[in-house]
Amino acid sequence: MSATAMSLRNGWRGLAFIAIPVMAITIFLFYPAALSIIGTLVHPKDGGGYTFSLQSYVFFFTDGYSLANLARTLWTTVVTLILLIAVTLPIALYMRFTKGPLATVIQALALFPMFVPGIIICYALIRYMGPNGWLQSLLSLVGFHHYASPHLTPWGPVIGLMWDGMPLTLLILISGLSNISNASIEAARDVGAGRLRILVSIITPEITHSLLIVSALNFLGIFGQALMPFMLGPTNPEMMGPFMLRTFSSVRDPLQASTQATITFLICSLAGVAYVRSIARRPQEDRK
Amino acid sequence: MLRRDFLKYSAAGAGLLLAGPRVAFAAPGVLDIFFNSDTNVIDFWTQVVKPGFEAANSGVSLNLVPGGGGSGINTLADRAYAAFQAKKDPQVDMLEAATPFYPAGSLEAGLWVDFAKAGLGNYEKVNPVVVQSPALLPYRGSQVVLMYNSAVVKEVPTTFAGLVEWIKANPGQFAYSRPDLGDSGACFIERALQEVTGQKPELFLPDNYTDDYAKPMFEKLWPLLKDIQPALFNGGEYTSGNTASIQLLASGAVAMTVAWSDMALQAMSQGVVPDTTAVAQLQDLAFTGGFSGVIVPSVAGNRDIALKLSDYLISPEVQNHVVTDLGGFPGIKWEFLSKELQEKFAKVAPKSIPIFPSTWEPSLFEAWYRNVASDLKR
Repeated sequence: MSATAMSLRNGWRGLAFIAIPVMAITIFLFYPAALSIIGTLVHPKDGGGYTFSLQSYVFFFTDGYSLANLARTLWTTVVTLILLIAVTLPIALYMRFTKGPLATVIQALALFPMFVPGIIICYALIRYMGPNGWLQSLLSLVGFHHYASPHLTPWGPVIGLMWDGMPLTLLILISGLSNISNASIEAARDVGAGRLRILVSIITPEITHSLLIVSALNFLGIFGQALMPFMLGPTNPEMMGPFMLRTFSSVRDPLQASTQATITFLICSLAGVAYVRSIARRPQEDRK
Repeated sequence: MLRRDFLKYSAAGAGLLLAGPRVAFAAPGVLDIFFNSDTNVIDFWTQVVKPGFEAANSGVSLNLVPGGGGSGINTLADRAYAAFQAKKDPQVDMLEAATPFYPAGSLEAGLWVDFAKAGLGNYEKVNPVVVQSPALLPYRGSQVVLMYNSAVVKEVPTTFAGLVEWIKANPGQFAYSRPDLGDSGACFIERALQEVTGQKPELFLPDNYTDDYAKPMFEKLWPLLKDIQPALFNGGEYTSGNTASIQLLASGAVAMTVAWSDMALQAMSQGVVPDTTAVAQLQDLAFTGGFSGVIVPSVAGNRDIALKLSDYLISPEVQNHVVTDLGGFPGIKWEFLSKELQEKFAKVAPKSIPIFPSTWEPSLFEAWYRNVASDLKR
C-alpha cells in the first residue's frame, strides 16, 4: 500500500473518531445558539414573513439600567481576576520551590474548593462573612468592632468567585511554573542574580503563557456566572448572569434575554479567541 | 446474528435511547407523580401520603419524582398535551404544584381531569374560596406572614400602615427578598400595592392586566417603597430569597421579615431560629397566599388510581397532617379537621386568602428592579 493511501486511510479514521463529539457540539450547542442569535436579529412579521431589526440591541445600548449591569459585570470580572492572580501566584511560586509536608498541606487546602459545590459555598459564606456571622464574632473577640459585611455588596460575589476560581488557577500556574528548568534558575543565580531579578527576568517571561490561559479561562467562567452574584451580590446593578436569567424567567422577555446573551457571548468570545490563539501559538514556538 | 435481526434490535435500542434517560412504561399500579415543590413537600409525601395510600390499596405504588422546577414541570405538561393530541399514554399520572393553565389551550381541550365531575367522595369538603379551577385540586396552602423575634419586637404591627411605621422607627431591622427570587418578597410589594390602591384586591384579576391600567397604580407604589428603602436592612438591601431572609432573622441581623407560613413554622420547629421567634398576620388585609394543587391528565395510564389518590389527598386524615407536619393550610374547610386543630388555629385560620394574579408579576417585578432597586446609592 502506498504512503498516500495509508495517510488517507488514517485521515478518515481520525475524522470518524471526532465525528461524534463534533456532531454533539453542532446539534446541542452551535445549532441552538445560532437559532437564538438569529432570533435576536430576525423577527416574524404580523401576517407572515420576516423582518430584520436591530431594535433589541438599540434598546440594550440606550438603556441605562442594562448598561449599568454590563459595567458591573466587567468590574466584577476584572477585579476578581486581578485578586485571583495576586493570591494564587505567590502560593504557586511557594509550591514550585518548596518541598515538604507544609507545601502538601497548603496544596490540599488550595485545591479543596474544587470539591465543594457552589451553592454550598454560597450558604457557608453567608454564615461565615454575613452579618453577625463567625468572622464578625471572631473579630469582635479580638476587639475589632467595625466589621461591615461584604454580603449583598459588590464584594460578595468577588469573594465567592475567588473561592471558586482558586483551584483551577493554581493548577494551571503550577504546571506553567514546572516548565521552568532548575538549571536556568541556577545559572542566573551563578551570575549573581537576586531573587527579584530571577522572578522578573527568568520566571515571569516563562509563565506569561500560563497567565494568559488563566486569565482567559477565568474571564469566561466569571463573566457568565449566575449563582454567586445572585446569592452574594447586591440587588442592583446585577451581573449579566442573573440579569439574563431574570429577564428570561421572571420578566418573560426571551428576545431581550437572548440579546443580553448574545452580547455576553461576543464579549466572552474575545477571551475565547485570546485563549485559542495562546494554545495554538505554543506548539509552533516550541518547534522553533 | 442475522443482519436483519441486528438492524431490528439496534432500531429498538435507538428508540429506547430516544425515549429519554428514564426509560419508563406506565406500569399498571405504579403511579408516576412529578413534583414542582421543594424537598420538604416530597418528604411529606414519602412519609405520610405514600405509606397511607399504599397500605390501603395493595398492589399500588407511588413513584415520587422531583420535576426539576417550573420549566421541568412545563416540559412534562407539554409532553402530556402532545400525548393527549396523539391519544397516547403520557406516562405522567399526576403533576404536583402545577396549574392546568399551561400549555395554553390544554384546559379547554380537556387535557386535565375535571375534579368536580370526577366523583370524588371528599370533593364537597374542599374549601370553595381556594378553588381556582375545577381541574386543579388544592390540597395545601400557605400564606405569607410576618416572622419576627419577639424578644426585640414587643408589639407586632397589625396593619400595613403600622408595619411601615415600625420599619421607619427601627432602621435596619426589616428585610424583604427580591420579588423574583422569593415569593415572600413578592407578596410584600403586592400587599404594598394593594395598600396604596385602597386595599381593594379585586382590582387585580388574572385577565385584567394592561400597561395603561397598571401604570397609574404602580406610580403610587414606588414612593412608598422608596420611602422605606433607607430604613431596610443594610440601608436598603434585599435578600436573595425566602431562605436568605430567614437566615438574616436567625443570625439576629434583622428583627423582622416576611416569610411563608410553612417555611416559618418549619424553621421554628427545627430550632434554626431563636426560641423567641413568632409569626403574625396583618389584621386589616392579610398578605397574599397561594394554594398548591394537583392536576391529572385525562389520558393518564393510571387515571383511575390517580383519582383515588386525589380523593385520599383531600381526606381529613391527610389534611390534618398537612397542618401538623407541613405547616400548611388545609385545602378543605377547617370544620372537617380535628377539633384540636380547629381550636389551636382559630386565630390564624384565614376567612379568605387574597391571591395576587401571577399575570401581573412579570411587569411588576421588572418595574420594581428599575424603579426601586436602581435607586440604591452606595
